[in-house]
Amino acid sequence: MDTAIDIVLKFVAITVVFVVVLMVVAYTVLAERRVLGFIQGRLGPNRVGYGGILQPFADLLKFILKEDIVPDKSTRFIYFLAPVIATMAALMTMIVYPFGPETRIPFTSISIPLVVARFDIGLLYVLGITSIGVYGIMLAGWSSNNKYSLMGGLRSSAQMISYELALGLSLIGVIMLAGTLDLAQIVDQQSGWNGLRWLIIFQPLGFIIYMIAAIAETNRVPFDLPEAETELVAGFHTEYSAMKFALFFLAEYINMFTVAMLATTLFLGGWNVPFADSIFGRGTFLFGLVSAIGFLLKVVFILFLYIWLRGTLPRFRFDQLMNFGWKILLPLALLNIFLTATVIFLVS
Amino acid sequence: MQALLFILFGGLAIGCALAVVAQRNPLYNAISLVGVFISLACLYVMLAAPFIAAVQVIVYAGAIMVLVVFVIMLLNVEQEERGRGRLKFLVPTAVALAAVLIAEVAFILVSVQEFPAGASSDIGLTHSIGTALFTRYLLPFEITSILLLMAIVGAMTLARRGGLLSPNARVIPGAQTLPRSLVDPKAAPDDLHAVEAESTEEAARLLDVVDLSSRSRRDE
Repeated sequence: MDTAIDIVLKFVAITVVFVVVLMVVAYTVLAERRVLGFIQGRLGPNRVGYGGILQPFADLLKFILKEDIVPDKSTRFIYFLAPVIATMAALMTMIVYPFGPETRIPFTSISIPLVVARFDIGLLYVLGITSIGVYGIMLAGWSSNNKYSLMGGLRSSAQMISYELALGLSLIGVIMLAGTLDLAQIVDQQSGWNGLRWLIIFQPLGFIIYMIAAIAETNRVPFDLPEAETELVAGFHTEYSAMKFALFFLAEYINMFTVAMLATTLFLGGWNVPFADSIFGRGTFLFGLVSAIGFLLKVVFILFLYIWLRGTLPRFRFDQLMNFGWKILLPLALLNIFLTATVIFLVS
Repeated sequence: MQALLFILFGGLAIGCALAVVAQRNPLYNAISLVGVFISLACLYVMLAAPFIAAVQVIVYAGAIMVLVVFVIMLLNVEQEERGRGRLKFLVPTAVALAAVLIAEVAFILVSVQEFPAGASSDIGLTHSIGTALFTRYLLPFEITSILLLMAIVGAMTLARRGGLLSPNARVIPGAQTLPRSLVDPKAAPDDLHAVEAESTEEAARLLDVVDLSSRSRRDE
């Protein structure tokens, strides 16, 4: 009986997290369009609702109502499978992030942790699921039977394999300092000292490498070669339309959100807000609320950084991208591991 | 619940494994193999070995199979050529090996029945694997990494054949070949001497073109 209740509770938690994440993602798209508009000296979408607040729903309606075109010579099964893999892999990582501390529900004595699932290898789980996500893009490129799609798929897989290495290696410094792969424990260790124990202070190089590799992993500007519209039409999703295109679009923004949450969790102290525990006291409802809002604000800040970069930087050339990944980022990540290991050895 | 999940993932693994052998399209084979790896990872999780499960997904499904799919896409192998005579002998070999495997499994099922009661429960956890790898099995671990490094260097030296190409040389698809006319401003436009190189600078060096620097300045 207890296990049944547990399973139902987990389903509820997953649904809540997915709904929250999808809402934030929808408004990230709107924010991207408005901020890009501001950067480029124009307005952006501001007509649907007050200041464009309902634009995401108008977009969704449009995606659903558009005609769904399937190319005649595509490999149908894989063509349908690819967007599903991309979106599923993007959503599956959501469940391990701690959104907040143990929080008491008001007027009761029940405390719940603000995380869906907590396990020993949370960080490896995130990396594993992320590495599955590349199949969505590759298979989309192959099954469309279009040379631009194929080129986009090939480029993206080469890029994601290359930058996955630097991404994984940049996190090893964090793992060495924390001594665990459990995300909740890593966040716990960063509490105290009012923000001076955030791992970005001990791992500045690791944070920079992680941010660069993460942008390449999510195929964003300046690493958006898989869908470089000036040379590849739209890259791997050239042949996709209507809701299937929307799924790829969604997957890209969820992936942005995921890497922003991972950066927050590992480097920016997760849900820790400076001075919050001395003002509200640990375990109270207000403390939980402030922490969760602090977590979301940090994530939103990194998302803003992404949009800012998109408005600022031009695209890399493909050989520049590969050289940068293998000859600069990877050795730097190795250097970071070496430095961290040396410091740990000297201190202890 | 446990039994149900085991049947689900075990069945999925066997189904995908059959598809790997039965499918004719190489890309379907590769995707089925990814399915096998993921179902195996789920089984590892059920056996309380989450670290091995995660590594299975990251290394096999996320890295090796991506490379395999990449190569299949790059060469665009449409259909396997059927009925090649020189591979016929593999059929009886496969049957014999399958028989050996089944006999082995049957032998293990008959001979080992008791589960060892005193087995420690932390097998497969990250901490125990790390401790074992870096203390007790440090030498084998380091030797394995040197072996892998040697394999990478060997593959690089074999695959990297820069230099002048003969007129009917076969080039790996995706390799960069540069004709002399591209790097030498003074070459005749129909000069078909070509080299395989990483960059225009390297091509110029291989073709003994000297005034590349003046040309690249003009390009900028």
